[in-house]
Amino acid sequence: MGRHAAPVSTSPEPADDPIASARALTKVYGAGATAVHALRGVDVDLGRGRLTAIMGPSGSGKSTLMHCMAGLDTPTSGTVEVDGQVISSMSQRQLTNLRRTRIGFVFQAYNLVPTLTAAENITLPLDIARTPVDRERFDTVISTLGLGDRLTHRPAELSGGQQQRVACARALVAKPSIVFADEPTGNLDSKAAGEVLGFLRRSVDDLGQSVVMVTHDPRSASYAHRVIFLADGAIVGELHDPAEADILEALAALGEAREQDAS
Amino acid sequence: MLRVSLREIRAHGVRFALSVLAVILGVAFVAGTFILRAMLSDTFDSIVESSLQGDAYLRSVATTSDDGLPDGPPDPGAGFGGARDGIDITLADEVAAVDGVARALPDVQGPIVIVGADGTAVVNGQAPSLALALHTDDPAVDLVAGEVPVGPNEIGLESGALDSSGLALGDTTTVVLGGEVREVTVVAEGAYASPTSGATLAFLDADVAAELFAPDGLVNSIAVYGEDAVSQSDLVDAITETVLADHPDANLEARTGDDVRAEASEAINEIIGFIGTFLLVFASIALFVGAFIITNTFAMSVRQRQREYALLRALGASPAQVFAVVLTQAFAVGLVGSAIGLLSGVALVDLIRWILSRFGMNLTGEAPVTAFTAVLCLGIGTAVSLVAAAVPARRAALTAPVEAMRDDVTVTEKSLRWRALVGALLLLIGVAATYVSVAVSTDEDPYWGLEPGPWLGIGAGAVLVGMLALSPVIARATLGVLAAPFVAAIKPLGRLARGNVMRNPRRTASTAGALMIGMALVAACTVLAASARESTTAIVETEYRADFVVLSATNAVPAEAVTAIADLDDVARADALSTAPVELSGPGLDPTATTVIGAPPTAFGTTLEIETLEGDLATLADGEAALHTSAALEYGWQIGDEITLRTDVTELTLTVGAITNSQALNADVTIGEDQLAELLGPAPANVVMVGVDGVDGVPLTELGDQLDAIIEPYVVVTALTADELVNQIADRVNQALVIIYALLALSVVIAVLGIVNTLALSVIERTREIGLIRAVGLGRLQLSVTIVIESVLTAIFGTVVGVVVGVALAAAVRSVFADQGLSVLAIPWDQLVAIVALSAVVGVLAAVWPAIRASRLPVLEAIAQE
Ligand SMILES: Nc1ncnc2c1ncn2[C@@H]1O[C@H](COP(=O)(O)OP(=O)(O)OP(=O)(O)O)[C@@H](O)[C@H]1O
Ligand SMILES: [Mg+2]
Repeated sequence: MGRHAAPVSTSPEPADDPIASARALTKVYGAGATAVHALRGVDVDLGRGRLTAIMGPSGSGKSTLMHCMAGLDTPTSGTVEVDGQVISSMSQRQLTNLRRTRIGFVFQAYNLVPTLTAAENITLPLDIARTPVDRERFDTVISTLGLGDRLTHRPAELSGGQQQRVACARALVAKPSIVFADEPTGNLDSKAAGEVLGFLRRSVDDLGQSVVMVTHDPRSASYAHRVIFLADGAIVGELHDPAEADILEALAALGEAREQDAS
Repeated sequence: MLRVSLREIRAHGVRFALSVLAVILGVAFVAGTFILRAMLSDTFDSIVESSLQGDAYLRSVATTSDDGLPDGPPDPGAGFGGARDGIDITLADEVAAVDGVARALPDVQGPIVIVGADGTAVVNGQAPSLALALHTDDPAVDLVAGEVPVGPNEIGLESGALDSSGLALGDTTTVVLGGEVREVTVVAEGAYASPTSGATLAFLDADVAAELFAPDGLVNSIAVYGEDAVSQSDLVDAITETVLADHPDANLEARTGDDVRAEASEAINEIIGFIGTFLLVFASIALFVGAFIITNTFAMSVRQRQREYALLRALGASPAQVFAVVLTQAFAVGLVGSAIGLLSGVALVDLIRWILSRFGMNLTGEAPVTAFTAVLCLGIGTAVSLVAAAVPARRAALTAPVEAMRDDVTVTEKSLRWRALVGALLLLIGVAATYVSVAVSTDEDPYWGLEPGPWLGIGAGAVLVGMLALSPVIARATLGVLAAPFVAAIKPLGRLARGNVMRNPRRTASTAGALMIGMALVAACTVLAASARESTTAIVETEYRADFVVLSATNAVPAEAVTAIADLDDVARADALSTAPVELSGPGLDPTATTVIGAPPTAFGTTLEIETLEGDLATLADGEAALHTSAALEYGWQIGDEITLRTDVTELTLTVGAITNSQALNADVTIGEDQLAELLGPAPANVVMVGVDGVDGVPLTELGDQLDAIIEPYVVVTALTADELVNQIADRVNQALVIIYALLALSVVIAVLGIVNTLALSVIERTREIGLIRAVGLGRLQLSVTIVIESVLTAIFGTVVGVVVGVALAAAVRSVFADQGLSVLAIPWDQLVAIVALSAVVGVLAAVWPAIRASRLPVLEAIAQE
């Protein structure tokens, strides 16, 4: 597929072998007059071995979508499948186990357990699952992230960028099927953000990971293979291998479309 | 600002719940103590009222100073207010003849053993069994049913005693009176106007009673009942003018009934005061421990709201205003807690009253809450809360406005250097003071003008407070060691838990601090009890050399039984130890009431093996006296000093020939049995123990059977081998310990609440972190296990430190009291290990609720938590 100058409303084109997919996914918070429809029937397939970015205005349902797809939240209706398993009907216990083994997370902030060292934080999911640490993988991840000399430090002794990189390492070290990152660079300056995003992209390209991230920053989104645009709980368009300018353009178009809608 | 303060409480009320509970428990204890004290005092006043109903009393002038209570076992006949000589019973007739006097009844009473319907002695705990003279139309006793007993084979019973004996009017039963077993018929039921506080009371024919209990014709006092319309003072004047004038040498005095009752009440209230003070000590411990919960709660709440306070400061609030915001919350916590505590105290007393009534002791009246009690309790609870919250409040007040701008709350842990310094200094002072007290007490040439007691108190206090101050400093290292097995065994939860308890050593230490104090006291009591047991049994084992020791539960072995035992063919020796109340004086000591022991001098080396510190017990045969070391130390007497013993009958001056540290001879003075007989005159000696040795070759079991056959009718008399005696003494120490443990239990319970509190609050504080580790795959159960490990680590830390401190202090106390019976230091390792193991269980229990709370936190919301 080529580049689009403006977001194109696409019917979901089923990728050959999606790592995660959602069908008719809805999420309603509250009930009655105050009900908030955070997701209104989202169909999406997230490609295996791809870096996917999700963009959209504040309150458009990005975080909600991530949470539902990661088994952190239960959707109101619709199905979610991760790596061949239907997770939307799983019990809490199964979900906990899924998170432990198949899914990695990076949050916007507050990613690390303050009492553990960087190394201990990185191996935490493995320790919890009582899986032996794959030394080779660990070393690869560490060297890719350039964290070798920071492993014995506690989170409080690390910079924000370093903390996010440790969080990324933690998400990746257990070889999860998919990594979800909700605004992983939201708190970072552009240089630190670049480091983290560069790493995420490399983990896709070099390690074969599948990564989904939410971002507000077109520059960050330009690291992605594919950018999905969300508005009012629905997917309104997508771009493939976009440049920063394409994304800006698409966002502007989205904004105009909404203003017209409003008027 | 008040609004901010109250809003916070409303929004986060649950956080303060356990603080309020801590105040409630402490204040309930205080309130309960005060109310109970007032109630006991009321009860005993009304007992005094109903047992001393005379309009006037005739008695002899007190011969000893009126300074309070006799040191020896309380002698029911002696009464309070100093020792008095007996007066001639025949004076009653003279008094009765005085104008205006309706009746004059001599006070005759003495011990009795009543066998109930079930064949066992009627006893009510430690309360005495007494027989009293019952007169026709006795003004003090209400004859409920039957007739006044006549002759030696009829008795009456007080309603309560009749009840608990299971006997009915007309039944015959056995009693032991004046050392003889008697068959008697129950012919009367009598009642007093107020409850009898558990004593078992029986009534006898007045003449029989006089014969038994006043064989020398002397009684303690004569109760005088005036004719109607004669005032008490007129009665006293009339008696003074007549009877007293007729006997100018008899040293008599007449007092109004009101005076005598006031005197008795005062003396009883003094004892009740002691009980109250004793309970208040435990109440203060409970409050002190509770203060830790409050401090922790406020410290955590302040930490969490640091940004909010910074915002207030940025908006122009002064530090004083922020301080006030926090203190207002503490005030509310204290006030609510102490109000509920006061009510709980009333409920507690009702419960105690109910329990006591099950044991036959009825307390009068409603639980009285005086304005004083109420104000005091509210004041104490509120003050404790305010003081406990002051440090966290100061911290809140000193929040820099710029903190509001910071993105994440910086965890600025102040350096522990000051605490380390202050703690080490206090510990040093404590150890030094303790050392001084030990040195002073063991010094051969005692007292450089120093008393060991206060030094020991200062030392123990300083060591405890010093350890409290130091505990965060030692927390890291100690917890590291304690956590090692968990870290190794339970991966990765052990490591997570260790991190959580070590990240804020101050908090962990103060959480554990409450438990530390409770456990230090428990450990100290355990060690002291074991030492007391061990010391006593060691002495008992060496001292009691007889094959059998015959004892009575009423502390009086009947004379008949003693004779019968001595007459057995198979008995080689039957050495009776007897006691008698005397007045002791000597160099530097004015006459003082005490108890003297009389022993056959040949018993030493045969049935009794008593080591002397100085001198020789053989001198008793030459009419010399042996002193107990505690008396020798107290009065500063030495071998060769002359001491004087005086009774109603005569006066003996004896030379001190030996000083002992004996358990068997535990009275101030021991003399030969002949000297005791001389002192007592016609009155019988009170035999407390008979050491029996069999003739060589008689099997012990056979001798035992023969003894049992003799003592069986006396119901309360037992023959024990040395081993059985040791066990009995050990049991008695254990019983005393149970009460102390029960009182300490409250502070341990509050300490456990403290752990629950800290864990629950730290779960709230760590909500995001918990969400995070749950998000990366930690299961609910695993999360719970982590919290349980944290709790167990905290509990074990507090307990281990507490036990170490407690054992050390107990060892010091033991040294100080070495010559007062604590000759051996026994450290019951098994019990101490059990205490630590128990604390682990306590840790698990304390974690239940916080763990459930934590595992129920929804993952997403937890992460999103601000
Ligand atoms: N727990 C909740 N309860 C009620 N409404 C919620 C809840 N969480 C989210 N919402 C609502 O759902 C909608 C989508 O929220 P979501 O957090 O997914 O937005 P977002 O796209 O991630 O926004 P942002 O870019 O600001 O993070 C919003 O309108 C929000 O108000
Ligand atoms: Mg979001």
